[in-house]
Amino acid sequence: MIDDLIASALALTVPIALAALGGAIHRRSGIVNIGLDSHMLTGAFIGALISGLFGSWILGAIAGMLAGGVTGLIMSLLITRLKGNEIIVGLGFNIVTLGAIGYLLRAVFGVSGTLQVPGLQRLPALDIPGIDKVPVLGAILSGQTPLFWVCVLLVPVLAWSLRNTAWGIRLRATGASEPAATSLGLRTLRIRDSAGILAGALAGLGGVALSLGAVGLFNENMTAGRGYVALAAFYFGRSRPLPTALACVLFGFFDALQIQLQTVGGFSPDIIGTLPYIAVVLVLALTGVREYRRSARKVS
Amino acid sequence: MTSTTSHTAPVSPDAPNVRDSLTGRLLVTFVRVARHAGLPVVIALIVGAIVLSVTGYDAFNVYGSLTTEAFGSASRINATLAAATPLLFTGIAAAFAYRAGVFTVGVEGSFVLGGLTAAVLGANMGGLPPALAITIPLLGAAVAGTLVALIPAILRAFWAVDEVVTTLMFNFIVIGLAGWSVQAFFQQRGQANSATAYVSDSAVLPALAPPGQVNWALVIGLALLIGYAVWMRYSTLGFEFRAVGSAPRFSIAQGLRVRNVLLLALLGAGLIGGLGGGTHALGIVGRYSAGFSASFGFTGIAIALLARFNPIGILVGAILFGALNSAGATVQLFINLPVQLIDILEGTVMVLAVATFIVPAWWKRRATRSRGGKA
Amino acid sequence: MSAIVTKRSSGSGPAGVSCRIGARGVSRSFGTVRANVDVTLQVRPSTIHAVVGENGAGKSTLMRMLYGLDFPDQGSIIVNDEPVSLASPREAIARGIGLVQQELAIIPELTLLENLVLGDEPKSGVRIDWKKAAARAAELSASVGVNIEWGANAAHTSIAVQQQVEILRLVYRGADVLILDEPTAVLAPAQADELLRLLSSLRDAGRTVIFISHKLDEVIGVADYITVLRSGRTVAENVRGEIDRDGLAALIIGDSDLPITTVSHGIPGDVVLVAAGLSANDDRGIRRVENVGFRVRAGEILGIAAVAGNGQEELAELLIGVRRAATGAIRVGERNVERAGVRARRRSGIAYVSADRKHEGLALGLSLRDNVIATPGISTLASAGWLRKSAVMTRVRDILTRAAVRFGSAADLASSLSGGNQQRLVIGRETASRPLVLIASQPTRGVDVRGISYIHELLRQARDNGAAIVLFSEELDELRELSDRVLVMHRGRVAGELPAGASRAEIGQLMLGDSDESG
Repeated sequence: MIDDLIASALALTVPIALAALGGAIHRRSGIVNIGLDSHMLTGAFIGALISGLFGSWILGAIAGMLAGGVTGLIMSLLITRLKGNEIIVGLGFNIVTLGAIGYLLRAVFGVSGTLQVPGLQRLPALDIPGIDKVPVLGAILSGQTPLFWVCVLLVPVLAWSLRNTAWGIRLRATGASEPAATSLGLRTLRIRDSAGILAGALAGLGGVALSLGAVGLFNENMTAGRGYVALAAFYFGRSRPLPTALACVLFGFFDALQIQLQTVGGFSPDIIGTLPYIAVVLVLALTGVREYRRSARKVS
Repeated sequence: MTSTTSHTAPVSPDAPNVRDSLTGRLLVTFVRVARHAGLPVVIALIVGAIVLSVTGYDAFNVYGSLTTEAFGSASRINATLAAATPLLFTGIAAAFAYRAGVFTVGVEGSFVLGGLTAAVLGANMGGLPPALAITIPLLGAAVAGTLVALIPAILRAFWAVDEVVTTLMFNFIVIGLAGWSVQAFFQQRGQANSATAYVSDSAVLPALAPPGQVNWALVIGLALLIGYAVWMRYSTLGFEFRAVGSAPRFSIAQGLRVRNVLLLALLGAGLIGGLGGGTHALGIVGRYSAGFSASFGFTGIAIALLARFNPIGILVGAILFGALNSAGATVQLFINLPVQLIDILEGTVMVLAVATFIVPAWWKRRATRSRGGKA
Repeated sequence: MSAIVTKRSSGSGPAGVSCRIGARGVSRSFGTVRANVDVTLQVRPSTIHAVVGENGAGKSTLMRMLYGLDFPDQGSIIVNDEPVSLASPREAIARGIGLVQQELAIIPELTLLENLVLGDEPKSGVRIDWKKAAARAAELSASVGVNIEWGANAAHTSIAVQQQVEILRLVYRGADVLILDEPTAVLAPAQADELLRLLSSLRDAGRTVIFISHKLDEVIGVADYITVLRSGRTVAENVRGEIDRDGLAALIIGDSDLPITTVSHGIPGDVVLVAAGLSANDDRGIRRVENVGFRVRAGEILGIAAVAGNGQEELAELLIGVRRAATGAIRVGERNVERAGVRARRRSGIAYVSADRKHEGLALGLSLRDNVIATPGISTLASAGWLRKSAVMTRVRDILTRAAVRFGSAADLASSLSGGNQQRLVIGRETASRPLVLIASQPTRGVDVRGISYIHELLRQARDNGAAIVLFSEELDELRELSDRVLVMHRGRVAGELPAGASRAEIGQLMLGDSDESG
């Protein structure tokens, strides 16, 4: 029972965590990415198509990631070059992408909503002999998809890159103080575009985790607002990789709990689904009040 | 480090219209609406045409059918206006807040909870005269919509907590709560998916031209639009809205009621959105069910932005998007066109509504260089 | 140390240069304002060169031109004895010129070390070579004799340290001419001393330093050469040791006390404004106003004189209430208002002319009508929450006419007015309600001569109508002409009070800190 819960919670965490890590990096560059859902959906769609076409999950994952990166770049260009408001551009992008994919499903593939891709290869589950028998630890480490391990790897890699690469400190500088960064000669727009591409690519990979995950098909509603949960996660994690990933684990746990309780009955999945958003409002309220108090002592 | 970015409304309103005569003013207004909305709409249509052509449709043919389906006959115009009605409410709601420089994206949540409240109250109005049976649910809807905005409003006005994210989060919170409460309390027995009972006959907003769907909600919406225009222009608080939205530091230094304005902007947007949901429940759907709002709150944002908060622009925008929705729904029956084309057009317009179309820097450089060369 | 020395020999100009950077016959006008007139500046290599002068003497314009942020109308900028045209900061940087502006480009979220190398990071592979970076940083700070904790988060360090990092960043990036725009204005005395030692070390290491300052002691103490600007012209160039503070002060202020023609002073009534023990911080949290107190009577103008950055902006803001006081009390008439908001203060009779006309004094995107009626008094023009059109139009016409604002239609945007007309609108609006107290901050800034005399007339009218006026101005002659008394602020404190008729020199001495505490 507990092992099932852990395994399913982690499986549910992976798509959100990938998107949230991307969103966190984008946020560190100073842009709130509301369009993560659109990148995820694109990644899920293209990932499923390519995996089916070549019968290879690896190619599917790479293609889904690239496709997400392309949509991330387009969205970023609208924000950085055409000075579009990031919130509106993100909301609009989600609408366009959902529409475009829904349109393609019907106009080109002749299906409504769900696409079964023949020959699709799902993500393999990596069993670790020996550990898989250990309770709890086995559920955590064994039987996970490669994307789970990508996720686990990404957390330290991103945290390290933010501190120890030129790209990382320039990105943080841009996010913390864009005018100062510009006056130092940094190409802040390009830096933000790079973060936008990364956010799109990681969210796209998160989408791949959905479409090539447990079920192995594509559905136009399969992200089910996970992009917004990811947004909640990086707000909750204050855009730092490890806390963001842990927030995703928490939200994934909520998700798994909800499914388990559903089978037991009596508990509303809708209420559990709102927990991430409530958490974000609480965090924003607390930090807001604290910062207001602090600034009130200094300035009016 | 990430919580305090403060957003303001993504576009600014136009300068006040200085023409003295009414016709002159209308003319200026229409030119302005066309200028702000024209390019985004044209580009969206081109994007749509490309999508259509690539997927084997004749774009001109499709756009032709869309136009006919939207405006081709009295009954189609009726359907377009019915589809425009909820957008009118959400457009006004968004514009109301944006006027004060408050960037809410929470109208969707207010619309949903307003709809649920009106549906639940309306289902229990049997036996009451229509005047009451309609008024009570609508009042309930307005209150519900306001409540959705309450926490973000307080956080914004008293502690300067960025309203964009809180209102966005509240949309999801409200939609979850609505789904839960329907299942737990209001679910109609024998319904497959979660939906409330239909409202009592006396609580139904009467149609204006039966059998068409257009109903008194449109009249309420238009009255609200006129109220919005008049209030912003002639009331003291409306004046303070414009001042706070246009020049916040000035408004503080002048001792205007900045905090009240911020509170009222968010609460008012919630109220109007809730009312919109209420009229939608009583007038069109007759109940609340999952998927009650087809992103009306978000489309309303796009309308308000395209219109630069101008009342006539809001009306034009609501009709335009209403036409797309109503025509899209029927045209797919005739030419087998996926209705999702409408989402592509709407989303593109929304994205482009906030884009600044600037002359690329290299082009400007070349222009100055050639001018300098001549001089 | 070795790296510094290498940089030095490669970075400084060709040997035997007599002018590392400078200006020859430079003039620059903005509209009718002549910021620089035939200015000549010669900064010799490896020297510290101070540029001094009153506010508006043209120092900043000159510095901007030396850094390629602005361009002379006539004359030329000189680098290494050659006239050059610096089209952008990029070109200035390429010639080894660096500028430290008052607004520091320090990123608060990064560590000081990250700030130092940002944009030019030493790398090994993809990763930043922090060892190398730290070594360079230690070497840089050691070479100028400062002790910087490079690993600290910039947000948690003082302005003084941030400024040192900003200067060392320019050096790190290869600048050997450093231009500093009032670097000590934001520093406490001890911090300023440390900065001056740092500048001396840079000079000793072969670099060239130009700095603007209002503080004569530090100029006398550290500068090898001193150029004095007055009203946009070069007045004098002095070599170290040839001039003392009094001589310098005389050069800066000018010895010609203009005869004041229209001295008409008020007939003071009861005390209506009492400020006691006021302290306040600026937006960065630095104490800017310290224990300031004064009383003003009805029908009296109290002038406040101070060099920019000595707390007078903050004092004006905290009197009206847009800035919160850290300590102190303010009484208007019989009411204590120090805890009240702007709205309540205005209702108890304070009016305010902001120094920041574009953002605080006016809403440029709104109509003249809207700008005139935007006060708490708007309620008198409304019934049941609706504006009465006729009452509004009467009020608007009344105020605009009385203040002699030249306008086409009341529906025109405020941005369509000239600066002088804008300011008349503001003063007309603020005096229309017959306030008990008027806080007027830089009321004639950016206004032409004719506009100025009219604004003075409006202020006198308000005074004669019984207002207690606190007048903040950078124009000494304006203060002398209008004030019944002049309060001089220095480093946020009251440096002294002078009666009407005080000379420019007397006021100037106090403004420049020539008092016992700093002497």
